[in-house]
Amino acid sequence: MNVNVTGPYIYFEIPIFGGIPITQTTVSSFLLTAVLCLLCVCLGRHLQKRPGAVQVLVEKGVGMMHGMVVDTMGAHNAHWTPFIIVLFVSSICGSLIGMTGFLRSTTADLSTTLTWSIMVSVLIWYNNIKNNGFVGWLKGFTEPIVVMTPMNIISEIAQPISMAFRHFGNVAGGGVITSILYTALATLSALVLNLIAASGVAVGIALTAAGIGLLILGLKKKNLILYVIAATCGILGILGILQAGNVLSGVPIFQFGIPAVLSIYFDVFSGFVQALVFSLLSMVYIATACPAPEEA
Amino acid sequence: MGQFESFIGVNFWTALFTLLNFLALFFVARHYLIGPVMQLIQARQKEIDDMYANADAAQTEAAALQAEYQLKLDDAQATSERIVKEAVARGQAREEEILRQAKAEADAIREKASADIAMEKKKAVNDAKDEISVIAVAIAGKVVGRELQADDHARLVDKFIDELGDDV
Repeated sequence: MNVNVTGPYIYFEIPIFGGIPITQTTVSSFLLTAVLCLLCVCLGRHLQKRPGAVQVLVEKGVGMMHGMVVDTMGAHNAHWTPFIIVLFVSSICGSLIGMTGFLRSTTADLSTTLTWSIMVSVLIWYNNIKNNGFVGWLKGFTEPIVVMTPMNIISEIAQPISMAFRHFGNVAGGGVITSILYTALATLSALVLNLIAASGVAVGIALTAAGIGLLILGLKKKNLILYVIAATCGILGILGILQAGNVLSGVPIFQFGIPAVLSIYFDVFSGFVQALVFSLLSMVYIATACPAPEEA
Repeated sequence: MGQFESFIGVNFWTALFTLLNFLALFFVARHYLIGPVMQLIQARQKEIDDMYANADAAQTEAAALQAEYQLKLDDAQATSERIVKEAVARGQAREEEILRQAKAEADAIREKASADIAMEKKKAVNDAKDEISVIAVAIAGKVVGRELQADDHARLVDKFIDELGDDV
């Protein structure tokens, strides 16, 4: 069995401008945007001063993000809250959408994360120039000493690239590991089943019998370890019988349940953490470009 | 398979679509959800702040009013005490005055009465003297057997009575 690591699948190409490819990322992105826009409009429709349950949740979420923005960027940068919220939500939903199985995570495509990070960089530069003037912005590269200028320029360029690759790498890497795990588990299932089947039907029957016997014993003694051994023996025995009868051939039994544990980490946790890291870094970088106005 | 994008690669169109989607989502979310929600939160926060400020103001005002009324009450009590004290003093003065007047009147009455009594007594004595002298003259006349010159004898009798003194 092979593990194929590929980019997003290209559904078709629109034959204008030399071919616009419609990829899995594009589809996910459009779908996500449509759903989220609809959700925004629906949730924001009947806002009341005395909120219902849904509105409380929405307000809690917005308030939490607003608090985070104010904590990280300062109260004078509170107007960045919508941008950060949209960035965070786009990122986390873009990562989680991969869990549907038929849509690919938008953040598993470097095009997406690089677009976002360059967008953040452009905003940083724009605000830097707006606040310090063009000359002031250029002068910022020579600080703290002139010798640092090349390093500063490199870090300015590296910043969006590192942000993009960090996010992309985590989500895409998680996907790769998951697919490797699926392949490994399929191989393992085939191996175990073949081993049982090769031993002949008798072994299967014997294992099943042993399992039932141990189960009865376990019921009498109320021993948990006996239950586990009995269940293992019984299941392996039944599977062996089925495999011998060529019923189960090729069914990767170990793919049931086990990948969920890793999926919790690589899809849910990693997606959340990367969204948080991406928005936090954006906040910090933008905040340095938008310092607090001098108190008169 | 040429149907896949490369794993680590950037496609211009995908990037453009991502940017457009992000911008669309940003404007929709800001206009329809985040903006209104933040405004609402701020409005509510302001309302709560106002309420607390109002409550504080009311409390301060109430305390001030209470102090003021307490002051007024104390004042009123002091005034009433003063009025009562004055009234009592005035009453006492009046009482003394009345007593003094009564006493004076009583004294005057008593004096007048004694004077009257003395006069009456004198008058009575004089009447008695006159009576007695008349009687004495009559008796003496009877005794002597002749008519005495009334005036002369009256003088004698008076002298006699006077000699008898005030014992009569």
